[in-house]
Amino acid sequence: MMTCRDVIDVLSDYLEGALTPEVAADLERHLADCVPCRAYLATYRRTRALGTQAARLEMPDEMRTRLRDFLLARLR
Amino acid sequence: MTTDEPLLLKEAAGGDAAALEVLMNRYSSRVYRLAYGITRNPADAEEIVQDVFWQLVRKGGDFEGRAAVASWIYRVSTNLALNKRRGKRHELETSLDECLPTYEADGHRAGPRAFLVADWSARPDDELLSGEIRRVLEEAIDRLPEHYRAVLVLRDVEELSNEEVAAAVGDSIPAVKTRLHRARMALREILTRRLGPHA
Repeated sequence: MMTCRDVIDVLSDYLEGALTPEVAADLERHLADCVPCRAYLATYRRTRALGTQAARLEMPDEMRTRLRDFLLARLR
Repeated sequence: MTTDEPLLLKEAAGGDAAALEVLMNRYSSRVYRLAYGITRNPADAEEIVQDVFWQLVRKGGDFEGRAAVASWIYRVSTNLALNKRRGKRHELETSLDECLPTYEADGHRAGPRAFLVADWSARPDDELLSGEIRRVLEEAIDRLPEHYRAVLVLRDVEELSNEEVAAAVGDSIPAVKTRLHRARMALREILTRRLGPHA
């Protein structure tokens, strides 16, 4: 039987579908009985999505203009 | 305009503004995201973007296809950004240990039950990605060591495989996976401290 520590240790692999079917089934059995680990999984997954959204930046337009000018000036 | 990358690079190296534009459309935001994600400083990120593009254009057509260009860009951008950070560690950057889960001797999580069962995951994006919570998230990202931020951006934003991330950062796949997991756990912990039952 997996402990909370065992579950959290492999959470990333679980979300990537990288666990063996046996380990994934053990983990899901643990989750079915463990409210803290269910909360951990839900907030871990949400954290990953938030981090992704927060970091999804486009380069600002004025920087793009400076980059173009910088490169063209050096290439000519 | 050609989509053939080596040809595009040769044209850009000859001062062809249109070729340069295609390359910038394709890669500038990727480099900027990664550079900013690691340095957390827009001016440093801009310098890195210029440096990467200048090196890219100078290399001209010395690439075997688009995949080779992308992996070169990720590797060089990561190295430049990590070098830029060397000797400039922000005072907020800290050991992650205090932000990782703790356990009882039997492997159950330690801590007050109300905190352990706190689940804020259903809160809407509008609430979590703006105002005070957004600030907490940004500060939490600032607190991560730069190697962890590099892995987070490459894996979770650029959606590279663990193998590709390992090649970009020059680390083993197990090291990449450990950093990614620890970074996410630390961010989760900091957000839960802010959003949990005692908030």
